[in-house]
Amino acid sequence: MTTLDRSAAPTRLKYLVALVPLFCGLAGVVIANIPVSLLGGLVPPPLLALVPVYFWCLVRPDLMTPAATLVIGFFEDLLSGGPPGVWTLSFVLTYVLVARQRDSFAGLSGAAAVVGFAAAASVTCACAYFTIAALYWHLPLLAPILSELAMTVLFYVPAAMLVVAIHHRIVGPMRSDI
Amino acid sequence: MANAWKIARKNSAQLPLVIVIALAVVLVLLGKTNSGIFDQARMRITDWMAPALEAARSPVQGVGRWMGSVTEIFSVYEQNLRLKEENARLRQWRNVAIVLQNRVDHYQALLHAVPDPKMNAVLARVIGRASRPFLQTMVLDAGKDDNARPGQAVMDARGMIGRIYLTGERTSWVILLTDLNSRIPVSIASSVNRGSAVQAIMTGDNTAMPTLAMVPGTVTLHAGDQVTSSGDGGLLPAGLPIGTVVADGAGWRVALLADPAASQDVEILNFSAPPEEMPPTALLPAEAAGLKPHVPPPPPAPAAKPVAKPAPAEPVDAAGSVE
Repeated sequence: MTTLDRSAAPTRLKYLVALVPLFCGLAGVVIANIPVSLLGGLVPPPLLALVPVYFWCLVRPDLMTPAATLVIGFFEDLLSGGPPGVWTLSFVLTYVLVARQRDSFAGLSGAAAVVGFAAAASVTCACAYFTIAALYWHLPLLAPILSELAMTVLFYVPAAMLVVAIHHRIVGPMRSDI
Repeated sequence: MANAWKIARKNSAQLPLVIVIALAVVLVLLGKTNSGIFDQARMRITDWMAPALEAARSPVQGVGRWMGSVTEIFSVYEQNLRLKEENARLRQWRNVAIVLQNRVDHYQALLHAVPDPKMNAVLARVIGRASRPFLQTMVLDAGKDDNARPGQAVMDARGMIGRIYLTGERTSWVILLTDLNSRIPVSIASSVNRGSAVQAIMTGDNTAMPTLAMVPGTVTLHAGDQVTSSGDGGLLPAGLPIGTVVADGAGWRVALLADPAASQDVEILNFSAPPEEMPPTALLPAEAAGLKPHVPPPPPAPAAKPVAKPAPAEPVDAAGSVE
């Protein structure tokens, strides 16, 4: 894929490019929630949509806005089949945390970056867990949500590599134009 | 978006964040009070995705079989011997079951027992599975067009898997017995005291073996007791095989007979107990209950008709003679 010429890109294309993080989040939701399981349902699917939310919240929070996070969380709720609003609230609260601690998270690299994402994903899963506990008025088992967290962290590296590539090839060249 | 970026840089993005958090909370509350809108949207999406899911089913199923067969190839001989032995034992049990079924039919005929409700079933294919932390479900390729309705039981060849909880035009979502939201009234037939049965509620908690709740404190369960649906509430037929009781510390769990992870074709049982009609009030045994016997209400007065004014009566004296 060729990089976009900054000066030549028409305005409409620039705004389409600005929607790339949102589309990446929605694509993560769709891929993770296709109800087809290779492992016979032994492990839950990862929260792939959290990777673009986390990445662009750190790198370009103007493109991954709270409203975009809300939309991604809403689609996660819609497709995952669980109680509505749980992942929406979890994603938004994670966004708030990451945005507040942006300087700390953005400075991480290598294995520390994975730890940083794991911390953010832990907040997401903890929020979802306690929201479910409040809705059902009893504490669910911890094992399923811990395996969801483990799968999400496990898939972070390949998903982040893809997101970084998209950012460098499509979103990055438009940095100063939007 | 450029404005949002500038606002964020000025650290004054509190309002959008607060609004978004409030919207998320409202969404949670809305979903709790009325999830019908979300369910309809989900079913539309699933109906729309059904052809793609069916297309993806075959290769995924092939990969799953291949992955499963890799580990089994080393134990084929032992498995064959074990299956032959099990088959011989099951043939004996089949004969016993036929004899007992005939005896039950005979007794029912002698006692003029109420016959079991007739059920028909729809065969459906599993086109998707989802195992999320708070939801364990499968998607079937039968929907309203095939008379699938929410609440109907779903069975595989071995036992009950779950219940339908959402139906679209061509697809259905099944809530598995292991799901966090699953509650099924069950009957536990004791393997020690023949003939005695205990009623309980089987509750899913997202583990492979649901727990047994509401078991009477005076009852002792035993590992190996048979668990079937009790039919309480009239939503499910009684006697559907579910599993066997296993001990779990101080409590009890149910090892399910069905295997939702491996099931490819399932049956949707179309069971609808005829709603029991209330007898007329006059036939209720009110007197036996010590209540006031029912008095039928007086017939309604005929509609007032315009009647001609009667002629003024002649004055009558006390003796009755007309003056």
